[in-house]
Amino acid sequence: MQDKYSLLLLLLVPLLGAAVGAFMPSRGAARGWALAVSVITLMLGVGLAWQMNLFAGIDSSLSSIEATRQTVQLQYGADAANNKFAIDKIGFSFHLGLDTVSLWLVLLTVFLQPLVVLSSWDVIKDRATEYYAWMSLLLAAMLGVFIARDLLLFYVFFELTLVPMFFIIGIWGGPERRFAAGKFFLYTFTGGVFTLAAVLYLGTAAQSFDVVRVIAYAQANLSSTERFWVFMALLAGFAVKVPLFPVHTWLPLAHTEAPTAGSVILAGVLLKLGTYGLLRVAFPIGLLSTSEGVISGGLIGLLGALCVVGVIYGALVAWVQKDIKKLVAYSSVSHLGFCVLGLVSLTDIGLQGSVLYMINHGLSTGAMFLVIGMIYDRYHTRDINALSGLGKNMPIMSFFFIFFVMSSIGLPGTNGFVSEYLTIQSAFISPYLGVPFGVLAATGVVLGAIYMLHMSAKIIFGPLKVPAHEEGHGATHGNAAVGADSHAHGHAAKNDLNAREIGILVPLAIAVIWLGVRPTPILQSMTAPLALSREPLSQHRSADAATSLGAPLPAEQRDRKSDERLVLNTPARVGLPEQR
Amino acid sequence: MEYLKSIVPLLLPELLLVVAAGFLFLLGISTKVGARRAAPWISLLVLGGCCWLILGEPMKLSGFDAKGTFEVTSFSLYIKLLACGVGILLTLLAWPTNDDATGNPSLNFGGDAGEFFALMLLSLAGVLMVSGANDMILLFLGIELASIPTYIMVSVSRPTAVAQEAGLKYFFLGALAAALMLFGFSYLYGTTGTTSLHDIGQLLAGTQAGPAGATVPTAWQVLALIMLLLGFAFKLAAAPLHFYAGDVYQGAATPVTAFLSFVPKVTGIVAIIKIMWVYGGNGFAVPEIFAKLLFAIAVITMFAGNLLGLMQLNVKRVMAYSSVAHSGYLLVGLTALAYAGGNGSVQNAALQGVLFYIAAYGIMNVGVFAVLQMIPAREGRSTTTAETYEDLAGQGRKHIGLGLAMAVGCFSLIGLPLTVGFFGKLYLIVPAWNLASVEPELKGKMAWLIGLTMLNAAISAGYYLKIVGTMFLRPEPPLFGDSVSSLPVPARSLAPTVAVVLATVLTLGLGTLIPATQLLTTRVTDSLEIGRQPPLVAPDTASVAESR
Repeated sequence: MQDKYSLLLLLLVPLLGAAVGAFMPSRGAARGWALAVSVITLMLGVGLAWQMNLFAGIDSSLSSIEATRQTVQLQYGADAANNKFAIDKIGFSFHLGLDTVSLWLVLLTVFLQPLVVLSSWDVIKDRATEYYAWMSLLLAAMLGVFIARDLLLFYVFFELTLVPMFFIIGIWGGPERRFAAGKFFLYTFTGGVFTLAAVLYLGTAAQSFDVVRVIAYAQANLSSTERFWVFMALLAGFAVKVPLFPVHTWLPLAHTEAPTAGSVILAGVLLKLGTYGLLRVAFPIGLLSTSEGVISGGLIGLLGALCVVGVIYGALVAWVQKDIKKLVAYSSVSHLGFCVLGLVSLTDIGLQGSVLYMINHGLSTGAMFLVIGMIYDRYHTRDINALSGLGKNMPIMSFFFIFFVMSSIGLPGTNGFVSEYLTIQSAFISPYLGVPFGVLAATGVVLGAIYMLHMSAKIIFGPLKVPAHEEGHGATHGNAAVGADSHAHGHAAKNDLNAREIGILVPLAIAVIWLGVRPTPILQSMTAPLALSREPLSQHRSADAATSLGAPLPAEQRDRKSDERLVLNTPARVGLPEQR
Repeated sequence: MEYLKSIVPLLLPELLLVVAAGFLFLLGISTKVGARRAAPWISLLVLGGCCWLILGEPMKLSGFDAKGTFEVTSFSLYIKLLACGVGILLTLLAWPTNDDATGNPSLNFGGDAGEFFALMLLSLAGVLMVSGANDMILLFLGIELASIPTYIMVSVSRPTAVAQEAGLKYFFLGALAAALMLFGFSYLYGTTGTTSLHDIGQLLAGTQAGPAGATVPTAWQVLALIMLLLGFAFKLAAAPLHFYAGDVYQGAATPVTAFLSFVPKVTGIVAIIKIMWVYGGNGFAVPEIFAKLLFAIAVITMFAGNLLGLMQLNVKRVMAYSSVAHSGYLLVGLTALAYAGGNGSVQNAALQGVLFYIAAYGIMNVGVFAVLQMIPAREGRSTTTAETYEDLAGQGRKHIGLGLAMAVGCFSLIGLPLTVGFFGKLYLIVPAWNLASVEPELKGKMAWLIGLTMLNAAISAGYYLKIVGTMFLRPEPPLFGDSVSSLPVPARSLAPTVAVVLATVLTLGLGTLIPATQLLTTRVTDSLEIGRQPPLVAPDTASVAESR
């Protein structure tokens, strides 16, 4: 028996956590509460993974079947009986569901959240209650995107992430925070409104907002002109969020100005909303068709070219940055190019590698931002030229720094290698891309190594050089968030990482190694759901597809499926405690 | 006498408002402060009574009066309920909170509290009349009844030159708009020989020779249509007659600005819907020229409002152009309605979208103005409430409740999810897409319409976000020399607070609690029986109604 409410809880816990957290009396209570909320959410996420049997021997046939699903159908519009109102035909539903792809992204989100809260522990001093409330709300919105199975609901959560992030960047960010927050919001919102237009078009045409039904309808019935424009409109929102090459300009600013926690969440999870939307909605609708198979190879080529340009351009721009955070931000542009390249290859390994890339990028770039934040807390600068030889007085920090740099470069043995390899290989073997894309993308790897090592060589090695103590520096850059307190400690605080900071980085390091040496379970678990993004939902496949994405099935099929699942589940479930 | 008997029950809410207004005028000349203090209570009571009348048993009966000039349909009841409901919020905004009942910090009506609220009630009575008018004379009178009191309200709202200028400007331009409207009405009368909207509709219905059953008006009737649309565009603050909005909205005291951005807009929209009904031959199968005109006005209005809004430094001017832009969104819904022609279900959805959006706009807009009114101005200007971005800077941090209310209002005006503004936009756009899927040849037009609407939603985010950003992200600027010794505190009086709370709760509630939204949409759905009831008495129209 499925636990009916755990998905709803996954949404409600952070939501209520935010509501209650907004009224916490003190900073200590607020951060404690936020940590509790994030840990409970993490436990819920792990519980869901357990229900989906992920930790008890992965079977690819199994992983795609078990989707926790509950539908609270709330039809819009008045009495359908006398059919006064056309909107009643499309109704949107509060439909949550989970398959392995979304599960991994949910796990990434809930895994990062406690670390992010911990990283803000001492740094956020001003208006801490508000800060932690926004963080919890952001968590709810991000999780909502990954578990929504209704297109309109998906869009609601997608847009909802903007509001908390706007405030997090705008209140607790760096000196340019107001401009950065506004730019972030306006860019993403402008793309998003066109996505809304497309979502509504699809919903009206398909007379349902259920993701599977919409995709099935679009693949079977839309003309190629319609498909093209719908795809463009969907792309407008998702490509900005990813961000793809020509619309990436909001990202370096937002990443640089956001507080550490904001950067981590932004790079770790928010960018993945874009790739997730591309994977789940835009590509199946825009590139696949029941009658023609994969359509518009030219469009795929164009997207692939944008990705490759993004990979190389991002890397080259990163190379010349003086600000470490900005460097990592541009490296995100480069990395997300790989990620989308894997998606547009429309091959199995490309899609798997791409989803793995989403997770890996979240871990390693998130970790990079955390370490940079720790440096910044001590020296109040992120200038490559102002820092040097940190390995001498901060050996532990330097260890983690180099470790995550290696992961980001994609050193074999770390997580980055697997996904980078898979996405590049997929570009080579893809029928729509081919060798030039693969070769160019591979140069991105080399460039990635160059800029990352260049930066680490400068700040970790060499003679020790730290900025001179500047009185009142905390006040001049106008950021109350990093506040007077950490500054008052001055040089005394410029020792190595403390236990809390090590505690934040160790789980990330473990995850990096684990995904580096044993990625197969993840890749295998996603095979079945990802196949849907590779080929159109045809008639004979639609039943399986429907199950994996959580659409309702005819009764007899549902029985068959649940029997099957029962049989497969039994060995693993023996001896497990009763599910809540 | 028989006629009076037939019309009095239909006119109950209007009569109540007008009688109460008359009483308040009398009350206004009383020398007793206590009597003046009773004025807002009386208007609140009367508006509440109107809501009760509209919702309650007495008004269940509906139809035309004996001469067919006034109708009570569920459409008109919806508009009446909306006007009275938002009227209650607006009364709360204008509540006199000074000790001597000479106004509240933002609004100064001297000793004229009675007169001020009387004017408000009269204007609302005008909206109610417009919603029920089935005759062009009555329609014109209703529109003017709704407008003329607002000219006075603008001028008396505060003793500054800018308010006098605004009042005068508004009056002269309003007179011009009235002239345009009358010009149009006169041509309509000249070509048909009757003032009854229903009869004109019947006459035009006889010409249904156009494609998809559209009517074919003569050239003179098209000229009349253009004039009428221009006149109504003034009421809506829609292009090309939107230029007054900035000055007038800035000049008037904030509660009056809130009033101006809602009440004339409702009359304009209702009048356009009525004229559409007429030109569609008592249906919405309007000629294509009508649809094209609406399309053009809608698009120009949206762009004008949003682009001008981006350039403003005064928040009240920003809200003025935001009001222009929202007229554009409403007209987008009407454009879909016009293109829907004879298609019943799409046409209902489009009308429903427009009616829902008016309500949504009324609620969220009042919320924003209520917050503006409660935040004090910084410099020692003649104004006492916030007007510029400078005034708002940092106030969200200082007064967190007001800041959040403003954020909710602005995000709702942007159309972000979980607010009523999101559903408003949804209900405006979905009918247009519905139409595109029903009639493929309109797909391109609807795609343009929706694309431009969405682009405008994105542009508008620029200035709404600036308001929120100014309140939350900017530090409070330092005080200037000796212009003010200390910052005034917000007007912590009960009435505006209640208005802020009500508007915020409604904005969020209608955006998140699906049953609540459903309740409102159902209410709107029920209101779609515009002009479809058989008349109560009149036998001549009854036969016509049967033939339909």
